[in-house]
Amino acid sequence: MDELFPTELKDRLEQIRDADIVVGIPSYNNARTIGHVVRAVSVGLAKYFPTQRSVIVNSDGGSKDKTQDVVMQAESGADDLLLVSHPVHNSYRISTPYHGVPGKGSAFRTIFAVAQHLKAKACVVVDSDLRSITPGWIELLARPVLEHGYDYIAPYYLRHKYDGTITNGIIYPMTRTLYGKSVRQPIGGEFGFSGSLAARYLEKDVWDTDVARFGIDIWMTVTAIAEGFRVGQAYLGAKIHDAKDPGADLTSMFRQVVGSFFRLMESYEDIWRRGNSYEQVPLFGFPFEVGVEPLTVNTDRMIHAAQQGVADLREIYSLFLSPQTLTDLTSYVHRNGQGFHIPDKLWVRMIYEAATAFRYRTIDRDHLLQSLVPLYLGRTASFVLEVTDSNATQVEERIEQLGQVFEAEKPYLTQRWDAVRKENLHAQSV
Amino acid sequence: MRSLFDRMLIDPFNRIADQSAHVVPILIMVLVTLIIGGFLAFVARWLTFRLLQLARFDRLVQRTGFSSMIERTGVFRSPSDLGARFVQGLVWLFTILFALNAADTPASAGLVMRFVDYIPNIIAAGLVLLLGVVVSRVISRSALLAAVNAQWPGARLIAGGVRVLVMTLAVVIALEQLHIGSLPLLVAFAIVFAGIVFALAIAFGLGARDMARQWLEAKVRGSVAEEEVFRHL
Repeated sequence: MDELFPTELKDRLEQIRDADIVVGIPSYNNARTIGHVVRAVSVGLAKYFPTQRSVIVNSDGGSKDKTQDVVMQAESGADDLLLVSHPVHNSYRISTPYHGVPGKGSAFRTIFAVAQHLKAKACVVVDSDLRSITPGWIELLARPVLEHGYDYIAPYYLRHKYDGTITNGIIYPMTRTLYGKSVRQPIGGEFGFSGSLAARYLEKDVWDTDVARFGIDIWMTVTAIAEGFRVGQAYLGAKIHDAKDPGADLTSMFRQVVGSFFRLMESYEDIWRRGNSYEQVPLFGFPFEVGVEPLTVNTDRMIHAAQQGVADLREIYSLFLSPQTLTDLTSYVHRNGQGFHIPDKLWVRMIYEAATAFRYRTIDRDHLLQSLVPLYLGRTASFVLEVTDSNATQVEERIEQLGQVFEAEKPYLTQRWDAVRKENLHAQSV
Repeated sequence: MRSLFDRMLIDPFNRIADQSAHVVPILIMVLVTLIIGGFLAFVARWLTFRLLQLARFDRLVQRTGFSSMIERTGVFRSPSDLGARFVQGLVWLFTILFALNAADTPASAGLVMRFVDYIPNIIAAGLVLLLGVVVSRVISRSALLAAVNAQWPGARLIAGGVRVLVMTLAVVIALEQLHIGSLPLLVAFAIVFAGIVFALAIAFGLGARDMARQWLEAKVRGSVAEEEVFRHL
């Protein structure tokens, strides 16, 4: 793994030798926000882990806005106003460029390698564009690993009802249904994990796939669950971050996240086919009510995207959707305004049929994922229209309801999966 | 001295008989070759059709989207039918070559030789066309998806245009391989392509100049006003 380290980083790691906690912050042009994140992490380490040796690693993708300078120059903030006692060890700080495919996953890979090199017991990663991070987040993400034997701690946030729609509409209910653990924010962005899990991640040969980009979050979560690591969640309050991911557009983000999830279904087929129920994952921290930022959503634009998609991509959809699903989709999608609606069952079947087509390469995988974007926008518009007047609790109940539909339709997934497999085997044998 | 009768009737008859003795067996051989070849071509077509059906070839082709195109021609009933007729055509081609070879005349021998020399060009042209069909299909589908996801009106028109352009290029290259006058087609292609680019540039510059200005401003300033600020992840 040392080939991942530039000479300067190698020398720095030799000086540090070992650490108990490594906190990683991936970045790309985040000079505006990363200072606050570094300060919060520094204070968190000093306040909650004063006797542990800790290292903050900024893994940067070649920022041009002096992000790395901001990291190194950020005040530690660990002053008397915040700390009851002074830490035994001050945390080390490293800012290094990462190697490999440009993306969040490659940045994480360098952080995993640093954690392994320093033989860290716990590792925490946090996004660099967070505005709501507090020192307490570091404790909540690292302590269950250090003191309670957990291997993976996923975040649990309160988010606006329109926020995190890929999470709410696909990734959360599917992770729960397939892998049997109710991790509410499986692609949250902030995680705590053990040194042994970081080492396991490094063993995998995925670093030239979408895992090296936005696929990293779901890959980490599913790998931890599917390979039997002990998983928990930490209540972090509200997640407030910069309005837009730099350089991230919906199509590529969707493709990377959903594509990585579908690819994991291929890797862990024997795991997800086994069970039919799920269990709650322990939640650390003290849940409290918190205000979330108001968001604006243009449902008309989304509905138009879905309608155009169904009209223009019909030929592509006919390659992987069943005739019944395609007929239903066509009939639902052409209703305008408030009447627009994509029912749960139809949505779930479309996703399951797409996952099967992805597995058996019924059509080019990239084309398949891209063609799902208009359907996803349609489903998001449908969800937004449905919960316009709902409060947070009602929205959670609605997402829970969708999860139940995913579970009820799981036999349809296995049945479709087997049918397409049989077809493929037959074609090969002939 | 030979009689007039011999010279007028017997000699020509003997000459015809001599020539017939040489030509008739060749004609019979050519005829038999054609009959056997025709039969083999029919059997090959039937067998290929059955085999392709067993292999679910139609379904396979359906996934690539070629099926509807093949059926739309009205000549072939299905991709399996196309495959079977292609094999039948090949068998017929070789039958004719055999028959010409059997004729054993200088003209037929020359024709066969020229055809054999031409075979690599035919194969190359065929491969270029096949590649053109596959590449145009992939590129036009990518263009369609990109245009739909960008919510551009006329996404299918864009995809169709891309396909026509790539296929035209493939046809020009294939004709070049066949040494068939491709220059007029190449010139026509260049004129049409340049015309399209020019028309688009004018349309964008005049018809959508506000959009062009906003787009350029956003590029230069590095930011776009986002109507929606929610996160998908």
